[in-house]
Amino acid sequence: MEVEKVEAKTAVATAMEVEKAASSAAAPRPQFKPLKPHEMSDRKIEFRKVSVPQHRFAPLKRCWMEIYTPVYEQMKIDIRMNLKTKKVELKNRADTPDISNLQKSADFVHAFMLGFDVADAVALLRLDDLYVDTFEIKDVKTLRGEHLSRAIGRLSGKGGKTKFAIENSTRTRIVIADSKIHILGSFLNIKIARDSLCSLILGSPAGKVYSKLRTVSARLAEKY
Amino acid sequence: MAAAVEMEKEEESPMKKGEEALERLRSADPPLYLTQSSEFARDARAASCFLFSSLVPFCTKLPVDRLLVEGFDAEQIWYQIDLLSRPLLSTVRREFKRLEEEHHSRAGLSTIDADGDGEEMVVEKDEISVDDEGDEEDGDESEEKGSEDEEDGEEDDEDDGEADEEEEEEEEAGEAKGNVVEDKFLKMQDLENYLENAEAKEYGHPLEDFDSDGDEDAELGANARYEDFFGGNKKKQQKKCGTVGKRKRSSTELDAVDHFENTDEDVEKNDSEQKLLSTHEKELQKMRSKIEEMEKANLDPKSWTMQGEVTAAKRPKNSALEVDLDFEHNVRPAPVITEEVTASLEDIIKKRIIEGHFDDVERAPILPSKPPKETKEMDENKSKKGLAEIYEEEYAQKTGLAPALLSASDKLKTEATMLFKKISLKLDALSHFHFAPKPVIEDMSIQVNVPALAMEEVAPLAVSDAAMLAPEEIFHGKGNIKEEAELTKEERKRRRANQKRRFRRLKAETFKRAVQKTGQSAVPGATNGN
Repeated sequence: MEVEKVEAKTAVATAMEVEKAASSAAAPRPQFKPLKPHEMSDRKIEFRKVSVPQHRFAPLKRCWMEIYTPVYEQMKIDIRMNLKTKKVELKNRADTPDISNLQKSADFVHAFMLGFDVADAVALLRLDDLYVDTFEIKDVKTLRGEHLSRAIGRLSGKGGKTKFAIENSTRTRIVIADSKIHILGSFLNIKIARDSLCSLILGSPAGKVYSKLRTVSARLAEKY
Repeated sequence: MAAAVEMEKEEESPMKKGEEALERLRSADPPLYLTQSSEFARDARAASCFLFSSLVPFCTKLPVDRLLVEGFDAEQIWYQIDLLSRPLLSTVRREFKRLEEEHHSRAGLSTIDADGDGEEMVVEKDEISVDDEGDEEDGDESEEKGSEDEEDGEEDDEDDGEADEEEEEEEEAGEAKGNVVEDKFLKMQDLENYLENAEAKEYGHPLEDFDSDGDEDAELGANARYEDFFGGNKKKQQKKCGTVGKRKRSSTELDAVDHFENTDEDVEKNDSEQKLLSTHEKELQKMRSKIEEMEKANLDPKSWTMQGEVTAAKRPKNSALEVDLDFEHNVRPAPVITEEVTASLEDIIKKRIIEGHFDDVERAPILPSKPPKETKEMDENKSKKGLAEIYEEEYAQKTGLAPALLSASDKLKTEATMLFKKISLKLDALSHFHFAPKPVIEDMSIQVNVPALAMEEVAPLAVSDAAMLAPEEIFHGKGNIKEEAELTKEERKRRRANQKRRFRRLKAETFKRAVQKTGQSAVPGATNGN
């Protein structure tokens, strides 16, 4: 019993000595609160302006509330439509929780302008790692006149079934606008979808593309 | 004068009439001959009379100088004509032979006509030689059939009428033999000529034409000898032929077309040259001719079958079909299924069945090592969920906030179980639910504490004993329950002792209570307190 007590005393004595030593060496460490995103950008308000193409005016008017609500409420970004300049303007707020919110909202609106549905574009707001990839048919193969039309037809398939098949199996969304093709999805999925679309442009039949898609998507599913 | 003129006229008119009748007969269609018409008959008789009278001057001994037609039937008319025609024919034949001889001696190609008539007749004959033969054939057939009168008379008369033809005699000679076989393709005369030529080649001299000899001269036939037929004295024969031919000779010319004459001449010439060859020399000649033939064949180009490689262009069309080709077949010929083969096969099968020796390869069964993968079907319709929703669901499942979705197989399993339940229900119904356990129906009901006996009496069969009260609910006792009669003495004593104890305790308790109560009030008849 006595031995123990003696040991405890010595331990306390050594601890106190250490403390003293430390405090005597440097000044006390400052404790800061984390920076707000507003403050991170030096209290500057940032803007984004997304132009609206002619053919997306009516859909924009129709779906305005669906666009406005998530951006304003959840992203906490100010959004407005400038009819004169035909642009959608986005603005940072003081209480925006994350600096990336502005960029995400801008991407969301831009995706809508490209032609994606609101339900699909909203995924951009909610997930970090979704991207929009654009390429043209002429990047893949130079086609003219009827060949081009036929290639576009091949891409969509009858009633759009080929396009939907690719979308469903790779969890992407595809918009075919004349000669331009936009793909929305995660990086790997975009790659798979792009490969399928390129093989279709180059002329392979839909059945072949389906079989490849099946194997690849099965492999993807197994991974997770 | 007038009478003479009249007589002449009379003579002429029947002649003219006869000619006209003949013309009419000639111009008539052959089928008309078959019909029975009196006009035709009259024409036929007139024509026959005319022809008969025109031929009478040529004949020497005749019982009748003109044809008696009225009142005579076909047989009689025919007999008259026959009387006239037989010697006439023989004389004509003799003349013909004679003319032949003359023709030979003159190196006979000249066709000098003594008479213009003869020319005409010959020309006529040339033109209608085929028709004549046709007519003759018809006539002969009708003769054989023995049909109408007119035909007989006409045909024969026509034959007689054309008396200048020499060929026709030959043809007549041949008629008797080949009238059934002959037609425009096969002429018996040509056949005979060819045969005679062949025989001449073979034997080196012409054999005698038996028929012509026999027919042409009855006298010769009667005195036929070996030398006549088989060589010997050719000169004799030639002399005879010559005499006959001279007699036959008429003023008419010979026909160059008669190749029978020519061949006869050639053959006779050869005869004169070779008549003294011995057998050996004949054989040598034959050999030489054969050798010549073979040498000629060797010099000629070979036939296509003897040449080396022959393409289809180098050989005549379809010639490979006619030749028997022989080449190697590298394929084994298909086995011919005979009864023995089938029997042997069946024996093998039976033996194997009896032995139980079946060695056909069986496929190895695939043992499933891992569970079957769930392959998602490719959906070709527009997805109903938005992209955001899909990711949301995925996230929820990963973190466990949402229950795992029924995969397709689970859905199928639930569906399958439901279906099976339905089916098993129906099957149980089929057997009146005898085998199925009764379903437990939990419901609240009041249990009456009625003695079991009463219940058993009245209750229906369906009510089970379990619905009644259990024995424990009626009686709660414990241990070994005995009747009084069964008890032993000690047990009786013990029971009594227990009873007494209980009684005393009870009494003591009641007294205590009473005392407590009368702590305040006096107890009636109490013995304490003095």
